[in-house]
Amino acid sequence: MKLLVPVKRVIDYNVKVRVKPDQTGVDLANVKMSMNPFCEIAVEEAVRLREKGAASEIVVVSIGPAQAQETIRTALAMGADRGILIQTDQDVEPLGVAKLLKAVVEAEAPGAVVMGKQAIDGDNNATGQMLAALLGWPQATFASAITITGDSAEVTREVDGGLQTLKVALPAVITADLRLNEPRFASLPNIMKAKKKPIDMKTPADFGVDVAPRLTVLKVTEPPKREGGAKVADAAELVGKLKEAGVI
Amino acid sequence: MGLPAGIDSAVIDRLKDAAGPGGWTADQDLILPHLVEWRDQWTGSTPLLLMPQTTHQAQAILAICHQNRIAVTTQGGNTGLVGAQIPRGEILVSTRRMTAIRSIDPVDDAIIAEAGVVLTRVQDAAREAGKRFPLSLASEGSATIGGLISTNAGGVHVRRHGMMRAQVLGIEAVLPDGSLHAGLSSLRKDNTGYDLKQLLIGAEGTLGLVTAATLRMVSRPQVMAVAMLGLETPDQAVALLHRLEDATGAVAAFEVMNRTGVELAVRNTPSRDPFPDAWPWLALVEFEGSDAGLLARCEEALGAALEAGLAGDALLAQNETQAKAFWFLREEMSAGQKPEGAAAKHDVSVPVSKIPQFLAAADAVVNRLVPGARIVAFGHCSDGNIHYDVVQPAGMEPDAFRALAPALIEAVHDVTVGLDGSISAEHGIGISRRDEFIRREPPTHLALMRAIKTAFDPHGIMNPRVLL
Repeated sequence: MKLLVPVKRVIDYNVKVRVKPDQTGVDLANVKMSMNPFCEIAVEEAVRLREKGAASEIVVVSIGPAQAQETIRTALAMGADRGILIQTDQDVEPLGVAKLLKAVVEAEAPGAVVMGKQAIDGDNNATGQMLAALLGWPQATFASAITITGDSAEVTREVDGGLQTLKVALPAVITADLRLNEPRFASLPNIMKAKKKPIDMKTPADFGVDVAPRLTVLKVTEPPKREGGAKVADAAELVGKLKEAGVI
Repeated sequence: MGLPAGIDSAVIDRLKDAAGPGGWTADQDLILPHLVEWRDQWTGSTPLLLMPQTTHQAQAILAICHQNRIAVTTQGGNTGLVGAQIPRGEILVSTRRMTAIRSIDPVDDAIIAEAGVVLTRVQDAAREAGKRFPLSLASEGSATIGGLISTNAGGVHVRRHGMMRAQVLGIEAVLPDGSLHAGLSSLRKDNTGYDLKQLLIGAEGTLGLVTAATLRMVSRPQVMAVAMLGLETPDQAVALLHRLEDATGAVAAFEVMNRTGVELAVRNTPSRDPFPDAWPWLALVEFEGSDAGLLARCEEALGAALEAGLAGDALLAQNETQAKAFWFLREEMSAGQKPEGAAAKHDVSVPVSKIPQFLAAADAVVNRLVPGARIVAFGHCSDGNIHYDVVQPAGMEPDAFRALAPALIEAVHDVTVGLDGSISAEHGIGISRRDEFIRREPPTHLALMRAIKTAFDPHGIMNPRVLL
């Protein structure tokens, strides 16, 4: 079975994000970019499924600028077999991404799409669900465990108040949550091997998808600065302060 | 240097006045955190904690102490590892309230920080200015500028950027009689007489109280890469260090950890061994540079090193989270030992070429003196500074091990000195190495040091039990 794993290049999780002075977006100049952590978990899971014999080929696809090839190479170094870059400098919204992925799915005919539940830049948590709807496939989101048997997958989901286990018919879209696995480190021999694996270069036009934004960003602002705390002498004073602040 | 056992209460009142409101406490509950250090090796005592906020207040305090022959211990972030910052009955002067960054100048590449500023704040301030402050060490979230200067702290980037001494352009310090050494210069070149600030750097607070410093900034690297390598032997580490430096010119840090250290860290801390195989040694390499081709050069150099058999396996961090995980393992080498009982610690340096010889000889000594002891060897392979810690055998009574420790330390230091090494590479002498230092140091050196001490501090009030 072939697995398709979409990966996104985003600002590194550890970078302190700064808003541009003109409030049109965040500052990306000289900022470290890496694979979205949830995508990394999806890649790791796909590699593990192949190691268990549940999958035979892993194709990673990224939609983004030329540098997104580095993100694909990281996935290839972790064990994916080949990559597809749909190159665009446009900031593609979840619906555009889902439409492009649908086109890739139609061309590649994977047995499942395994992807991150959300990207940490937009935090939309929408693409996997939109893709499943567009394809008419079952979806199993927020996976913390995946078992594939025959033509179905058993997926444990992290939901409010506990865990829910679903059985979905394949093909399906499965989105990875944080506790699904701990991604492996890329070894140097595998990084070198990844440089020789093929990456197919495409554009949105190749798939006939219009990725023009449907949303207009009015303004991007920093969250309010946290104000310093104060120490209180005892519980009575604390209650007084809370009443003063009108929260109790 | 007869110091009075009790201090006149009128003098105590003058000291409190000098420190100002909020600048002192005699409440032992509040003082307690200042009397213990994190390894719990010393617990001190003091009648009074003074926390001046300004240089002027610090001057007034030391002037009173000088006039009244009152002994003083100075303390910064209380992260020192040789006990110098822990008072034994002396007045304790803490720089914790001197926390201003007075200026930052990206043209002069200089930042003026007060003694109580925590190292990470200086690093952050430099970053905000588009620059970098190139000193990094495990305690950087607590260690303060005054203490880093007084101990001439080292850390992980010494081979490329030097120790704290190399970062200091100028110093403001209160001398033991309360007078001011006003030397906040930002000059890189200044050959006017003896360079007095160099005496205050690494003086462990015995010559005066550093209140502020002008620190140099360097340009910020555009490209950084962090790799972890699995090795069979320390010889491979030394060969690898030079091979990678020759191939890239960009090795900023090269740290090693032995198997026992990795195992204890993984067992006792939330760190993770990144390799599936149990390598006898791990080497953590950080590269930094500013050209776009650096990453590819690093990958090639690491690949070539693997092919040449200088390492068994290699990982390259693909994002900051992975880089942090590599560093976290290295930084937990000390914390990993803590739950395992008593330990005898050595902070030695030898010429880089002699690291393998040192490790072999020291291991032989330890195995002979305390069979079953667990050796945690790790540290700064790039500058020859090895933290050679000997953890008690599992199941032994900690006190039984402590009884053996002095002979063990002596023997490991004999090995070190025999290889032209130093018995204190970066932690200093303090209290814990004082007797040994005085015994091993040539008399002519000691005589000069004592003459310098007397010139600065004729009454011997500053950190009197420390160093000399």
